[in-house]
Amino acid sequence: MQEEQEFINQLLNPKTQNQAFQRLILEYQKPLYNHIRTIVLNHDDTDDVLQNCFIKIFQHLKSFKGDSKLFSWMYRIATNEALTFLKQKARANNISSEALQNKTLDNLEADVFFDGNEMQLKLQRAIALLPEKQQLVFKMKYFQELKYEEISEILGTTVGGLKASYHLAVKKIEAFVSST
Amino acid sequence: MKTFKLENEPKIEPGFKVPDHYFDTFSAKMMQQLEQNEPPVISIFQRKKTLIFSAVAAVLVLALMVPLVVQQQNNKENELETAALENYITYQTNVNQYDLINGLNYEEIENMKTPIALEDETIEEHFSTNTNLENLILE
Repeated sequence: MQEEQEFINQLLNPKTQNQAFQRLILEYQKPLYNHIRTIVLNHDDTDDVLQNCFIKIFQHLKSFKGDSKLFSWMYRIATNEALTFLKQKARANNISSEALQNKTLDNLEADVFFDGNEMQLKLQRAIALLPEKQQLVFKMKYFQELKYEEISEILGTTVGGLKASYHLAVKKIEAFVSST
Repeated sequence: MKTFKLENEPKIEPGFKVPDHYFDTFSAKMMQQLEQNEPPVISIFQRKKTLIFSAVAAVLVLALMVPLVVQQQNNKENELETAALENYITYQTNVNQYDLINGLNYEEIENMKTPIALEDETIEEHFSTNTNLENLILE
């Protein structure tokens, strides 16, 4: 915790800021990329969202109060950025968020940056049928392998609530995969 | 139908790929973008200049508004005068219809005349029910 506070101080100090922020990017670019990618699915969109996410982090570092871990705070920004991006994209295309997700999934098979097999594609389709919150919980727990306590800090939901959401999500996914 | 159990299956990866060297170049690209996004530093003298311009603009706007406010105030006063005059005429018992007629010229009185079509029966009925008739005739 003390180490993190020192790192935050380096990020806030104009003399050490650039170097510290570069370290922050190198450390978190992959986990944040993977997290955003599971939400927006497409590489180019993920790249845009990830850049916006780091810009937001940089701009709001001063307002980071240290109530939560830096990691959780950044994940929260990334989640919000990804969800906002999807809503704006759906609005721009004049379609619902669900329709946009289905359209992206349809394009996934032809995507050069997707090499999933039939089972992986089926899993993505099953996830797309879940409510937004259950999708997030499932992706963070199953793909990102985050602990419930970490997800709780990111999404602001109780651990009990998250366990129930994940359990429901798994049941629905299993039912979908079994029936297709 | 085969029942699918997620926990019995080996972990299913999302299946996403990342372009080659994407993460090698990302931080440099990001740092460059952050430099471009940094808000420009405004010197204290430039800020002072902006403040002076804002103050001058505010004074000008206020100066231009003065005639408008004065005119609005005058209009209000005129309205009050008209109302006071009406009240005076209504409640001042010394002013009767002859005083009012004396204040009007022939043309204005002619313009006030309106033809009223009345049946004889209506006039008779009015005369029979109006108890102040004699007073009116005398007046």
